[in-house]
Amino acid sequence: MAKPRKKQAFDYSLAVVVFILILVGLYILYSTSSYNGRVKFDDEFYYLKKQAFATALGIGCMYVMANIDYHIWQKFAVWAYVLSLLLSLAVLFIGDEYNGSKRWLSFGPLSFQPSEFAKLAVILFLASLIVKNGKKMKKMGMLLLIMISILPIVGLVGAGNLSTAIIILGIGVVLVFVASPLYAQFIWLAVSAIGFMAIFLAMESYRLERLAIWRNPELYEKGYQTLQGLYAIGSGGLFGRGSGESIQKLGFVPEAQNDMIFAIVCEEWGLFGAAILIFLFLFLIWRFFVIAVNAKDLLGSLIASGAMAHMMIQVILNIAVVTNTIPNTGITLPFVSYGGTSVLFLLTEIGLVLNVSHLIQ
Amino acid sequence: MKNKTYIRRKELIVFVCAGLLLIGLVGRLAYLMIFEAEYYQEKAESLHERERQIKAARGEIVDANGVVLATNKTVCTISVIHSQLTDAEKVIRILTEELGIDEATVRKKVEKISSRELIKSNVDKEIGDRIREYELDGVKVDEDYKRYYPYDNLASKVLGFTGSDNQGIIGLEVKYEEYLKGQNGTILTTTDARGIELEGIAEERVEPIAGKTLQLSMDYNIQKYAQQAAEKVMEEKQADQVAILIMNPQNGEIYAMVNVPEFHLNEPFSLETLQLSTLPENDEEKQELLNKMWRNTCINDTYEPGSIFKVFTSAAALEAGVLHVEDDFYCPGYRIVEDRRIRCHKTTGHGAETFPQGIQNSCNPVFIDVGLRLGADAFYKYFKQFGLTKKTGVDLPGEAGTITHKLENVGLVELATMSFGQSFQITPIQVATMVSTAINGGIRVTPHLGVRILDEEGKQVKEFSYETDQVLSTETSETMRQLLESVVSEGGGKNAIIEGYEIGGKTATSQTLPRSAHKYISSFVGFAPADNPQVLGLCIIYNPQGVYYGGTIAAPVIRTIFENILPYLGIEKTGN
Repeated sequence: MAKPRKKQAFDYSLAVVVFILILVGLYILYSTSSYNGRVKFDDEFYYLKKQAFATALGIGCMYVMANIDYHIWQKFAVWAYVLSLLLSLAVLFIGDEYNGSKRWLSFGPLSFQPSEFAKLAVILFLASLIVKNGKKMKKMGMLLLIMISILPIVGLVGAGNLSTAIIILGIGVVLVFVASPLYAQFIWLAVSAIGFMAIFLAMESYRLERLAIWRNPELYEKGYQTLQGLYAIGSGGLFGRGSGESIQKLGFVPEAQNDMIFAIVCEEWGLFGAAILIFLFLFLIWRFFVIAVNAKDLLGSLIASGAMAHMMIQVILNIAVVTNTIPNTGITLPFVSYGGTSVLFLLTEIGLVLNVSHLIQ
Repeated sequence: MKNKTYIRRKELIVFVCAGLLLIGLVGRLAYLMIFEAEYYQEKAESLHERERQIKAARGEIVDANGVVLATNKTVCTISVIHSQLTDAEKVIRILTEELGIDEATVRKKVEKISSRELIKSNVDKEIGDRIREYELDGVKVDEDYKRYYPYDNLASKVLGFTGSDNQGIIGLEVKYEEYLKGQNGTILTTTDARGIELEGIAEERVEPIAGKTLQLSMDYNIQKYAQQAAEKVMEEKQADQVAILIMNPQNGEIYAMVNVPEFHLNEPFSLETLQLSTLPENDEEKQELLNKMWRNTCINDTYEPGSIFKVFTSAAALEAGVLHVEDDFYCPGYRIVEDRRIRCHKTTGHGAETFPQGIQNSCNPVFIDVGLRLGADAFYKYFKQFGLTKKTGVDLPGEAGTITHKLENVGLVELATMSFGQSFQITPIQVATMVSTAINGGIRVTPHLGVRILDEEGKQVKEFSYETDQVLSTETSETMRQLLESVVSEGGGKNAIIEGYEIGGKTATSQTLPRSAHKYISSFVGFAPADNPQVLGLCIIYNPQGVYYGGTIAAPVIRTIFENILPYLGIEKTGN
């Protein structure tokens, strides 16, 4: 079957699944947010409009990125990383607060979440760093050095947004793991990471409280959101209430269009609909994997791996939180949760991966 | 140059991990959505569902002939749901026309962005129906019941009224609450987190059960006539208030219970009836005035019965055998009891008189003698036997008890004054019941208004029975009827004579405390026909101006009422 291969075009199945996710995501977002939009802004399209604008912008960026040879970014990787550090620093001082978190930078009418940019910057930065040090990746010291290089951004982002910091750290670990021939050391790394987590949790009592809430959300006032999410999921049953019929989105799940949106998907579409959405994400992750495995060079492979890591960590953590499988931490569901910056950079990232697939041999 | 194998293997490991974790999460979802679904669904439903009550229609109160005295009026509440409006201008125009509110007010309310804006409540049903017929999007017409009293101030203190929650506040509305109130229904609706109902989701409904109808012994015509008579005499005598009780002495059924001034049942919280010169300063003061306005003097207040109580003294002494009709007495105009000189109302004295003359003259010395003959122990024995130490058990809330001396404190002076109805206090209903016992063959009856409970079709569901007790011999009662007939035909009650009827009765004029204020309570109790009493009337005039003798001012009131109601009740004239 193998045609005399020239340059392969894009990975069309990736593009298709992304567009499906974009459309499904916008539909769910509209359905979930229309009530809150009507109540708060007297405009049921309020959230949809903003999200659609960011999505359109993102599709533009994706198109551009897909057509620019990704090797160019190697030169800018360090600068992108430095820029993300500066922006994250800026947000600590002049950021806007919303729902008690300082995560946004305002540019006129537009607001921007630097931590979303940081994810992309870290992927590019680590990929190019590893490519430069390709030979030394069997050395434990080198691995640690690479990990240490991203700690500043993890720290800065983590100051205001622990969940995103964990994602960034996770992306870093996956990239280092992929790039290194070592195995056993990663087990040690995992063990020490767990130990570190334990100390970290014990340091601040409010984090321990989160654990208690996780165990028994019904007993705590702060378990309200989790509990309302569970009510929504449980109400879904096998086939759900039907599209648009969620009741929990009517103010019961607070800010249903954000982190807990997957619970509304469960309520409206049931187990089947939710499973289909999960498999769409799994398909997306599989395409990233295919592109990573078949990438022309290490840089392309690492970029695709980074995107895969980003997508899987975010999807898994989001669904795990919504189903109260792990303690509550604010992580959005890619393409579905409300968040302009997130969708903009996700699409940019996918554009980059599409370009990697473009140059597959 | 392909990437190294280990990199590809590691990428596979990462992907497989992701796949396994995601499949694990699908498993977790399946657990939540299949096995835990019921638990969470139940919780979610109880969170979403709001119970809304559907008011049950309150039972009616009807008189002995089925005339409706208390009923319900359907009223409508008009409100606008902003999000459902399609043609705001049309809505504004129609609501302005139909409700008679100015356009600016309607416009403001219609254009206000709120989940549900109340435009007007207590709208007549006809107007509500008309608005509903326009089928305007976003306009809601809800029906509700409001208690309505067709005759407004008729028997106001007896019927009572209900509060906003449709629960009786005073009078029969309280006493018969359990029959009248019915059972509210419920609608289970689904709401959003702010409690706003969602359209298009099936609602569960439990229909309300309407209250039952209460039928009274009260007769609308008698009540109305008695009220007019009371109002007339109150006006003429510039009295503070006038109470009239008309009842059947044989079984205790009350035909009329009037307490003028009556108040407006459809506006029970309006102080207009009192015609105050200054308005109350605070809520407490207002409530006090309202409570006073709502008081049913016939049962809530006690007074010194005065000479009417001689009926009791006579009956008790006759029954005890210490008095005989033919006994002779002498009245010098006073009687000295211990160190006290107790005067007769005729200060020059009645001279020698028989007992019937004594009662006709309402001579105090005669009754002092009779009372002293009885002695305190026997007096109290009969007092108790007549049921005067207990409440009558009338089916109205707040009946007052008797205020009297303790037996061990009753000396000769106390006994003497009690014999002619002073130095203790009882309620008008108690007086009417006591006289009924004396003349009806000696039976203590329970005065009452409630007769039966009817269902919606008018079929009897329950009939009330009331206690009766033989407390006096029929012979003594027979004697009492004759004695009291002579009071009207030959004594102080002659203003109650009606041609063609034999009327029995007794007058009373009592001075209220403090005696120095020179305020009086004039009263008369009458019954007919004297030999077989079918109706008994008691009229009490509080603080009349000018002439204050019961025989002069109260007896004619009962006479005019009897003149009208005796033929009405089918009591034939006896010829002479």
